Amino acid sequence: MNTMVSIDALALAPVLAPAAGAVLVLVLDVLAPRLRTAHHALGLLALAAGVAFAVPGALRGETDPVRSLCLPAPDGACFYEAGPLASALQIGALASALVVLLLVWPAGGSRDSAPEQLRGGPAVTVALVLSATAGAAAVAAAHDLGSWLVALELATLPAIALVALRATRSAGAGALSLLTTSLVSFAMVVLGAALWLVATGRPVFSGGAVEQALRSGDDRAVLLLGVLLLVGGLGFKLSLVPFHAWTPQAYAGGTEPVAAFLAATSKVAALAALVVVLRPLAAAGAPVLVGIGVLAALSMTVGNVLALVQDDPVRLLAWSTVAQAGWVILPLATLVPAGLAASGGYLLAYVIATLVAFTVVVLVGGGAAGRTLTAYRGMLRTRPALGALLGLALVSLAGLPPGVLGLVAKVVALRPVVAEGLWALALVAVVNAVIGVAVYLRWFAVLFQEPATAPGPARPAARGALAALALTGTALVLTSLAPQLLLGLLA
Amino acid sequence: MVIALSLVLPAAAAVWLLGAGRGLAHRTVNRVALAASAVTLVAVLGAVLTRPTIDRPWVPALDLRWQFAVDGISAPLLVMTAVLGVAVVVHSSRRRPEGGTSAVFHACLLLVETGALATFYARDAILFFIAFEVVLVPMWVLITRFGDAHRPAARADAGARFVLYTALGSTLMLVGILALVASAGTADLEVLARGNGSGIPQGTQLLIALALVSGLGIKVPLFPGHTWLPPAHTIAPTAGSVLLAAVLLKMGTYGLVRLPIAAVPDAFGRIAPVLAVVGAIGILWGGLACLVERDLKRLIAYSSVAHMGFVALGLASGTSTGMQAALFANVAHGVVSALLFFIVGGLKERWGSADLTVARAALREVSPRLGFALVVGLAASLGLPGLAGFWGEFLSLYAVWSPADGLPLGVFRAAAVAGAAGTVLAAAYALRVAGLVWAGDRTEPAVADTRGAEWAVVGGLVAATLVLGVLPHVLLSVTSDAVSALVGGS
Repeated sequence: MNTMVSIDALALAPVLAPAAGAVLVLVLDVLAPRLRTAHHALGLLALAAGVAFAVPGALRGETDPVRSLCLPAPDGACFYEAGPLASALQIGALASALVVLLLVWPAGGSRDSAPEQLRGGPAVTVALVLSATAGAAAVAAAHDLGSWLVALELATLPAIALVALRATRSAGAGALSLLTTSLVSFAMVVLGAALWLVATGRPVFSGGAVEQALRSGDDRAVLLLGVLLLVGGLGFKLSLVPFHAWTPQAYAGGTEPVAAFLAATSKVAALAALVVVLRPLAAAGAPVLVGIGVLAALSMTVGNVLALVQDDPVRLLAWSTVAQAGWVILPLATLVPAGLAASGGYLLAYVIATLVAFTVVVLVGGGAAGRTLTAYRGMLRTRPALGALLGLALVSLAGLPPGVLGLVAKVVALRPVVAEGLWALALVAVVNAVIGVAVYLRWFAVLFQEPATAPGPARPAARGALAALALTGTALVLTSLAPQLLLGLLA
Repeated sequence: MVIALSLVLPAAAAVWLLGAGRGLAHRTVNRVALAASAVTLVAVLGAVLTRPTIDRPWVPALDLRWQFAVDGISAPLLVMTAVLGVAVVVHSSRRRPEGGTSAVFHACLLLVETGALATFYARDAILFFIAFEVVLVPMWVLITRFGDAHRPAARADAGARFVLYTALGSTLMLVGILALVASAGTADLEVLARGNGSGIPQGTQLLIALALVSGLGIKVPLFPGHTWLPPAHTIAPTAGSVLLAAVLLKMGTYGLVRLPIAAVPDAFGRIAPVLAVVGAIGILWGGLACLVERDLKRLIAYSSVAHMGFVALGLASGTSTGMQAALFANVAHGVVSALLFFIVGGLKERWGSADLTVARAALREVSPRLGFALVVGLAASLGLPGLAGFWGEFLSLYAVWSPADGLPLGVFRAAAVAGAAGTVLAAAYALRVAGLVWAGDRTEPAVADTRGAEWAVVGGLVAATLVLGVLPHVLLSVTSDAVSALVGGS
């Protein structure tokens, strides 16, 4: 009997491209240590290639996923399976990492507008971003417990290093809280995975094995406990209340581009991991459903209420991440397949809008003075293009037109919840939609005020950040006009 | 084609003004906005006469379509919106907005108009919700940026109240819409109306109707969800108040007709008594508040609460007379409140405040034209026969006295009595205002009479008030077919 595992390298390319990129960047650094921008260029290339390779998977049908690492028939299980949703999440992770790389692009602009460089030089930064992204892309398509666990940690650990490498006291504190959280969450996830293995008897995420386990009473209890541990562990990574405490610290401690990475790429990885776990669980019913519903309601409420009183834009965005994470998992509480796609759709809409906001925060810069909302006073008058895009991102996060993307995302997220008749959860969401409007309009109103002082001489902005703004801004405007561009990826 | 033109043109003009209008002079901006809104008016009239439809996919993943059409229920509201869209621009021609550039001001007016037109055109429930939301941010900007220049804190508060209450209402409505769409399997308003809610379990129908009515009730606004309205009206600039009262509130009642009444009539019938009671409370509450209110703009705002109570009564009655009355009162209130807010906003500009306790020159003496228009507006507002306000109130009281079969007669009769008492209150406060502002023989400090653009707008609305009062069948005949299709001619 042939025991060879069949490998389709092209199918694996969305993961291999950033991974190979990370290795090449390190090799390049050994060969030519004085280069500064080449690393970034290589990283961008690797991520762009990854996006290109992931697109075909997103355009294929639900029943015909991209497969690789398959065992020979008759078992035929594949360790790598990327359907439209997984591929779309891969695209989201890769593209958002690409934006982050643009944000840390070292060249261009005047000396003080160039982004703050992390310890270890560009090679380390780029390699860390690329390897975390490879982990994110891999976890979306992982189909067995082993590679799922490895990919999940691969997506997490480099992010901790990215926070720590700023090497300030607050960065250390942020990295430490992220590290502790990650360790606890890893412990929970591993324990959950072990219980899953015990209950189903198979180290893969397969619907058949789960259904079998759910039928016997003992296995059912073990499996559900395992799933709750898995969800809890992933809750840390998704910044769900009560696992959210690290979020504002790590965001505010790291540099702004790193915070953007945590807010976008890391969240995509965490949701992708959660989707992999929940997909076979459609039959599990109440306990998981209630667990996720409670997490969603808590996250939205706590995140929104605390975002309402923040004055540091990065902290505000951090708490907004907590609230938005609640919206992201809201449709998952229905455990229907449509809920998974809805959750992915909401996440990608959030990622686009939040990346625009972070890019503007990077461009405003200004050290400690830039870290208050007053730095944004009158921005629509002093820097209209920047102000308009930030405004669009904020109303999009609030879910109001002209941010049609955010509005449509709200519809997408609420639809399965209402269709399944979860009225209590829907009401919590309604209240939070209102608080969310208050959160983002508070910032939006500042853009409208009279400028505090005459605008200083315009600093030439960092070229990479401008490119990032062009990219994310275009994506936001286009998807607001035609949300199908985004949602079509998931259907 | 005409529908698309009437939506794209004001939106495009607004976007252009936002992008390129910074350096333009007020006159130029005003002319651009005037041209855009005038062409929009022509296009809307064309759409109302030719009744075209648009049906194109927009977001197939959500089954969301660009689905627009005109029928007897939306036609009067469309025309009114487009006419007032021109009127507010004409009215602003000599008034440089305070608090921001005039490009932003006019862009916001045009965006509100676009959103309102799209709401009235929309034939897809989710598209209706999206169009409903479009007006939110521009109206918020109008209130917080261009409102009463002397009171920045009150501006922020009024704007926030407006946007948060409306967001709460529309999200509740969204939940209702999504539940309706999920259980009926379609978002097409026409199909939903034809389905009459058959096939949806009773309990779900009731929940859907509750979500829709409570959500839309905040927008209307119905007691006790009305508390956002008085501050918003008091603070908003004149043009903003006019659009708010005449157009935005109508989106709420229009939504009630299109969604719960058309799609889940049985469940709506079950909560109709509550709606009637709430409407009656609103009539009395608004009337009583008007009797003691010291701020003239706020007083007119409270009278809006009372008038929308009559609309709610008509809708609750479940008869075609009641529905006709509600739709008529809707348009009449749009015309009359627009007239009153133009006058009162003008007076506030001239006086510097709208405080009624300050002694002022009698309008009868110093500015007879403005005084005349005010008296017409107040008379229409108290429901004097021969003016626009009469038919809506009279017919809805009539309908509520004998509601549709199966509705609790006692509750409705009580609501009718309360409504009738409300008309007495309306007479009392209208005479109070007329006595304080119009009558008397003080001539100091004199205020300028209305002329030019303002007089044209105010005069036009006075004429419309008279026409609607004398020839009500012009409007009633437009809505009657659509209404009998909706309530089955009962």
